[in-house]
Amino acid sequence: MNNIAQRDAFWNRIYDIAAQDRNVILISADMGAPSLDKYRKDLPAQFVNVGIAEQNAVLIGSGLALKGKKVYLYAIAPFITLRCLEQIRVECSIMNIPMTIVGVGAGMSYQDSGPTHHVLEDITIMRSMPNITIHNITDSVMASEVAGMSYNIKNTTYVRIDREVFPDIYSPDTDFRTGAAVVKKGEDCYLLTTGCMTHAALHAVKRLEQKNIHVGIIDIYTFPINEEFLLETLKGARKVVSIEEHFLPGALGSAVGELILDNDMPIKLKRLGIRHAKGFCYKYGGRETIREFYGLDRESLDREIELFLTD
Amino acid sequence: MTADISSLKNKSYELRKMVLDMCIKAETGHVTSSLSSVDIMVALYYGGILKYDTENPHWADRDRFILSKGQASPLLYTVLADAGFFDPSELDRFAQRDGIFGVHLQWDVPGVELTSGSLGHGFGVAAGIALGAMMDKDLFMVFTLLGDGECYEGSIWETAMFAAHNNLNNLVAIVDRNYLCVTDFTENIVALEPMEDKWRACGWNVKRVNGHSIKDILEALAFVRSRRSHKPLVLIADTVKGEGIDCLTNDPIWHGQAPKGKDAEAARVCLLMRQNDE
Repeated sequence: MNNIAQRDAFWNRIYDIAAQDRNVILISADMGAPSLDKYRKDLPAQFVNVGIAEQNAVLIGSGLALKGKKVYLYAIAPFITLRCLEQIRVECSIMNIPMTIVGVGAGMSYQDSGPTHHVLEDITIMRSMPNITIHNITDSVMASEVAGMSYNIKNTTYVRIDREVFPDIYSPDTDFRTGAAVVKKGEDCYLLTTGCMTHAALHAVKRLEQKNIHVGIIDIYTFPINEEFLLETLKGARKVVSIEEHFLPGALGSAVGELILDNDMPIKLKRLGIRHAKGFCYKYGGRETIREFYGLDRESLDREIELFLTD
Repeated sequence: MTADISSLKNKSYELRKMVLDMCIKAETGHVTSSLSSVDIMVALYYGGILKYDTENPHWADRDRFILSKGQASPLLYTVLADAGFFDPSELDRFAQRDGIFGVHLQWDVPGVELTSGSLGHGFGVAAGIALGAMMDKDLFMVFTLLGDGECYEGSIWETAMFAAHNNLNNLVAIVDRNYLCVTDFTENIVALEPMEDKWRACGWNVKRVNGHSIKDILEALAFVRSRRSHKPLVLIADTVKGEGIDCLTNDPIWHGQAPKGKDAEAARVCLLMRQNDE
């Protein structure tokens, strides 16, 4: 497993694609990356820096896409989704102009940069709009494969990239069009995770197994969620715990709750994520410290999962 | 430029009447926002400026016209119907149950490039198309019509700087400077003047014209395809909101609505009197 940054895995793949097709255009809102230096040097005509102007990034990207270009927008996640939200709504959602929006800094992965750089609302907001697909990236293999898929998109895709380097858990032959995967087989209990919390869940499951508590993991990395896949996979399941580094209203746990309600599934759901009552976090000292503040740290996860599954 | 100014003036009155009738019938539509732009649109669509093909709205080499002030959709729909993009009987169904378009601009109507109504969008998309055209060495031009109130949107200035920096001299912006916003005159809200200085400071070629003189507009755009400057061009077109119908002008109350009853009759009479005075 190569264990490189998700961002670099994504841009390395786009470099290879762009080198073959001059219609691939990357628009940066003054955001760089070591993996982009090569792109900028070798393909300068396919690199547009709009400056720190995310609204204009979406507008210029829309014009280029209408002209037949394959457009990639790149900036820090909260800025390239929320600062230009109304541009995304009109051009990408209403008009269905396709582009790939690449946001770096999923959840609290900007750690000590604080709440302006954390993004805990974007999945809720982006999934509320028609014609937008979200890929919440789990590892560098997925980042690379999603980059490959992005070349042929028919509607706008938001690629949500984590800054932390995690161990790769997927193999390159995975079909990521499924939008969700059983990372660990379970029987009647599953942890339903997205992005970085899939890794947290893998650790939690190991600890729980020492206590003879067995639970599977399904990584839900695409929104809208693949209902058909989940209905089939969760057949016979009794309890599920959704785990996300995101505000609770409207995101993963809500999507799972909607699935259970709409399909009258006999499943108990526990949602773990960030409650609005906790507000924004001005604690420093790394991601785990911030997770402690929000009750998403290792001990809290173990306790909450164990309590729910053994109840 | 072979267009005969007096016949273009007649076209302006004809279009004003069509816009007024359409909105009165529908009991909605931004009449006054449309009226301030009529002479600009006549110059573009009937004065030989824009290249378009009514039989092939998606013709790859067409000039792009992006109506950024999407509230003037009654005017663009009227022009497109009159030019032959679709059956003019559609105008009778404006904002009706069985109609194909409503109060704000909709991109899937033949001849329309972009959905608009939310302001500060069309200009940026126009710049994006212009950039794409430069990358592909296309020869078509991109024209976009902005409202002056739209220039309060910050995204306008993000795009203005970008377009100049990237030498988009295939992009022409026209600002319909009618001085009126939704609730008040622009200079009472937050002053927009000096408009020319703002655009010039962003790196644009600026021309200020009388937006109701078709002749002036045509002269300003006469050599638009062979400009030597690398800068994009903006025309600040001084206009009157509601131009042509005196009883609807210079009063913010008429923003975003069609006159009804006696007001509708008065508006029709005003337009007729103005035409007879010329």
